[in-house]
Amino acid sequence: MKKIYSILLTLILLISTTSIVLAGAGDDKGNHFGKDDDFEGDNDQNETEKEIEIVNNTFGAEIRLLQLEKALLKNILKGEMAVQVLIGLNFTTTELESILIEMKALLEEVRQANASSNASVEIFVFLKNESKNFTTQFRETIRGMLNDTSLSELRVRIKEMLNASGQLDNYNKRIINLIRTFNGNQLYRLYGLIGEANSLFVNQYLNGTLPLNETKLQLCKIINEMTKEKKYEIFLEIKGENIRRQIHAQDVIENIGNGHGKQ
Amino acid sequence: MNKKIISIFFLLIIMVSMVFAYSYLTQPTTEEKPYDYSIDSIDNKDISDEIDDLLIDEDYEVEIGEMV
Repeated sequence: MKKIYSILLTLILLISTTSIVLAGAGDDKGNHFGKDDDFEGDNDQNETEKEIEIVNNTFGAEIRLLQLEKALLKNILKGEMAVQVLIGLNFTTTELESILIEMKALLEEVRQANASSNASVEIFVFLKNESKNFTTQFRETIRGMLNDTSLSELRVRIKEMLNASGQLDNYNKRIINLIRTFNGNQLYRLYGLIGEANSLFVNQYLNGTLPLNETKLQLCKIINEMTKEKKYEIFLEIKGENIRRQIHAQDVIENIGNGHGKQ
Repeated sequence: MNKKIISIFFLLIIMVSMVFAYSYLTQPTTEEKPYDYSIDSIDNKDISDEIDDLLIDEDYEVEIGEMV
């Protein structure tokens, strides 16, 4: 009897131990779904962090603000087209229209944002977050009104209307010009760093006759022909600058997260 | 005597199981590789990657989500 009792007790203990292990593993799996949201959030944060790395430079801030302006205008246009279609189908669109009004007010704020302000990074992050919030509000409202099939049809219709309108073409040109000027400045600096006065490739890039990857390739060719020590020196210089920018971006994101930013 | 041996044996099994359980739950999920920026470890690709970081991709767009 005693033997059976001790075996039973031991079995209970063993089962309990195994349960703890399995529960731990289960928790990990269970958390995985929660972590998807975290992952998405982390992804968003990494994306924003990458974006603001250039914002402490006035040119960079101008580029990011213009890209944000384009993204916001694109969503407003899409929203207006969606409202038009819904009105045609006899839906009440008051809530959607009020979100669009707020988005238009935000668009004005983006347009008036000062790219050369000391707080341009915080301003960009704040405006981007606001844009994302309004977009999510609109999307969730419209999803409550239409089924999946109607939403898919609406998406196709909006895409066609937006492409036909050509209202964003001007933005694309302005953004590409600003990016080329920014990259051109960076390339001039790199050529200066390697002690090359030849700026022919940079000028071709700025004129739009040489694509960015080709321009970079030409620069890399020159660097590859240098001595190991010189290459190392150049690497350290560029790496140092990249790390400084990354640290600054992380600091800003952390400060905003701690409530020290504009938010 | 037999009973004692069996009890000790089972106790050992429990202890081993607990050790395994503990090590399973506390094992690190990722191991970070230390950075190596010595002169011999840098190749042309590293330099090219760093130059990429200095430049802005012309096709990049700021994403704020889809409306529909």
